[in-house]
Amino acid sequence: MSGAPERWTMSLHVLKKGLDVPIAGEVTGNIVDLPVPASVSVAPRDLPGITPRILSREGASVKVGTALFADKAQPDLRLVSAAAGEVREIVRGPRRVVLDHVVSVTGDAAESFRQWDLGALKKISRDEARIGLGHGGLWPVLRCRPLDKVPTMGSTPQWILVSATETGPLAPGADLLLGAGDGEALQAGLYVLKALTPGAVAVAVPQGTTHPALANLKDVDVHQFGGPHPSGDPSVQINHIAPPKGNGQVWYARAWDVALIGRLFLEGRYPAQRVYTAAGTGLAAPRAVRTLCGAPIRTITGDAAPGPVRWILGSVLTGQVVDPERWAGFTNRMFTVIPDRAERRLFGWTAPNLGDFSYHRAFLSGFLGAGGRKVMDTGLRGGVRSMVPVGYYRGVVATPDIEPEFLFRSIIAGDLEESVKLGLLDLSMEEAALLTYVCPSKIEFDVILRDGLALYEKEA
Amino acid sequence: MTRLIEGLFDKYRHSFEEGGSLHWAWPMFEGAETFWLTPPHRTHQGAHVRDPMDMKRLMIFVVYALIPPMLVGMWNIGHQAYLAEGNAAATLVDCVLRGAIAMLPIIFVSYTAGGIAELLFCVVRKHEINEGFLVTGLIFPLTLAPSTPLWIVALAVIFGVVIGKEVFGGVGMNILNPALTARAFVFFAYPKVISGAGVWDVADKAKVIDGYTGATPLLTVSSAAPGTDPVAALNQAGWTWMDMFIGRIPGSMAEVSAAACLVGGLFLVMVGIASWRIMLGCVAGLGMITLVFNAFAGPEASAALALPFHYHLVIGGFAYGAIFMATDPVSAAATNAGRWMYGIGIGALAGLIRVVNPAYPEGMMLAILFMNVFAPLLDYFVVQRSARRRVARLAAQGV
Repeated sequence: MSGAPERWTMSLHVLKKGLDVPIAGEVTGNIVDLPVPASVSVAPRDLPGITPRILSREGASVKVGTALFADKAQPDLRLVSAAAGEVREIVRGPRRVVLDHVVSVTGDAAESFRQWDLGALKKISRDEARIGLGHGGLWPVLRCRPLDKVPTMGSTPQWILVSATETGPLAPGADLLLGAGDGEALQAGLYVLKALTPGAVAVAVPQGTTHPALANLKDVDVHQFGGPHPSGDPSVQINHIAPPKGNGQVWYARAWDVALIGRLFLEGRYPAQRVYTAAGTGLAAPRAVRTLCGAPIRTITGDAAPGPVRWILGSVLTGQVVDPERWAGFTNRMFTVIPDRAERRLFGWTAPNLGDFSYHRAFLSGFLGAGGRKVMDTGLRGGVRSMVPVGYYRGVVATPDIEPEFLFRSIIAGDLEESVKLGLLDLSMEEAALLTYVCPSKIEFDVILRDGLALYEKEA
Repeated sequence: MTRLIEGLFDKYRHSFEEGGSLHWAWPMFEGAETFWLTPPHRTHQGAHVRDPMDMKRLMIFVVYALIPPMLVGMWNIGHQAYLAEGNAAATLVDCVLRGAIAMLPIIFVSYTAGGIAELLFCVVRKHEINEGFLVTGLIFPLTLAPSTPLWIVALAVIFGVVIGKEVFGGVGMNILNPALTARAFVFFAYPKVISGAGVWDVADKAKVIDGYTGATPLLTVSSAAPGTDPVAALNQAGWTWMDMFIGRIPGSMAEVSAAACLVGGLFLVMVGIASWRIMLGCVAGLGMITLVFNAFAGPEASAALALPFHYHLVIGGFAYGAIFMATDPVSAAATNAGRWMYGIGIGALAGLIRVVNPAYPEGMMLAILFMNVFAPLLDYFVVQRSARRRVARLAAQGV
């Protein structure tokens, strides 16, 4: 929590390491406006660090922006309804954990919040920003490295990164999620975030972007990021711009979520509309839709293709399996649906596999280049073996000065001190997932990293 | 076709699964099934999709890379045998056939004996058959003399598999290269079958012509009189540099041809399986020490000191060792800087043992084993340096 840093100038970061997994099933066409869904939900599932205390119980009538639940420890940190109607059901899981807080939609009456103009937001105080975000239901778009939790409202970050880049497989970026007219809202949101930190607010934009909403950002530092995945990952970007010093925090948010913050403050009304994408060859027709936040998943994805499929909230690298009968998440805007099978191939140990993508040069496709996107299923594609350090791992790790084999050995050994020294808190989950993807021994590095971080959290 | 085979395996799978009457043989079933078809497992945690690369492919590609030195070696065994018998009329086919008769039983015994040892461990430990043995079981016998008795081959390969690998927990856990462990076993337990002048050919002893010594180029150099020109000694024995590069010399079965090893090495680097840093490191290390020795060469000094660098590259087991043995990813260093140091260490030590140690003219095997032991230490220093650099960078960049 040292003093304000000197300004960074507009800078370009082109990362060389990493991998764009060329999976087929991209979103095509324009954004489809869906009819108002019958129900919406806020799922604490993708809000790590928040323990819900219910404010609106079953049967309560709510408006757009009415608080549904707050964090147990921080009553000002609230999650609000995206629709007007009645609380239909609070779905609970094992040990009464809240899975979904479901509102049946009957109207569009809305709570009103304090309305600001852009000039006034320039001078918004820290407390006004905090309470405005907390009561307006948008504080949880902020996240904090290394555990990607929602930060506590009392803490102060050294600086804040707003990322308008997305490089994950099939993941939607600024072109879909940030509207051409969102420039003012984004700028307003950036002013709100500036009030939260004594340091800078930096915006990461795609290299050479021409997006109109990203063209004229004021009073922030702009960093261009290029190169393969994970160059669009906020964690990787923080490590390339300025990693947290000491035990301090750097927060991050996505630019499209920051534009929502801007709309909340400019319009004085909770912005309930979201763009979601549903991609992957497991769907009849991949698409992008505009609907209410937390709409039923099936209304977003449409029908699945024939045969068994896996429903994933997020990307094929770091997403989690979801039940399609549930509701969409709060911050995660993408669903991926892929065939859930392991296609068996003859003589996989030596066949050239021309129609297949591989990172490795032991396949013709790895040697000559991918040649377009490929259908990928959930096959493990080999037997699980011990780690054989052939040297593939270094090629997908974009965070500098990490020796992946040794970092992961120290995590497996439970040597927390050593693993922190070797980069446990620096490596991003996207990089760990890429390691899992390329590993010929089929070792699950992302699972190991998650366990290591959980151990770190327990001990620290 | 795929469906047919899949159906066949599915039909008998239940007998081998938990509770089936043949469950003890599960590793065999799994091994056979994954020979035909890629495995049926799906991801259940971690990234949902995976690259098609697996250990089977990695290991089989090393076996492919061994084919050129194996074929040239096969031809050379026959060639040397006919040469010793003074038969100049032998054709290419004659040579290859005679070589095959000597080489294939040794490879067969190595695979069979080592494979049984490997399988026993799999059955007892209930894990899948590890394809790493496909490489060990071929790399090891190719370093032997063509006249090695088969029972020694069997004993050594079992020693290599058990002591070199399985006692540590299998592939990935071992410290030493198992193939080299097996070869070191032969060297220390049965030195007569792998050193001296009489073991490198399979010629009929009754037919051997006068003047044929059977000495290898390394032996020729190390036994040349002090002060003599080692290149002249080699030429006098009938070998030009090109002969040694191509592999028309007595020696271990597949180590003789530096050219064929180079072809295999280029393939391994091209497909991204072996480390070019280690290979070049070996060459650099050998180059450095050779230049130092050349400076000390003189009329009183041992002839080996004067052997030029490019001769060192093509004689003995240097090329084979640098390309196939030193690059074993498990026993080598795993950091990039560590790989350079590891390679340079191997090259320098191999040169040192060759030239300075009079008891044994070839140093490659011992150099690699020695550096295998030191690889974790080299990695330790590199990893600590990376960690320090990270901490320094964080301190400099942080806000």
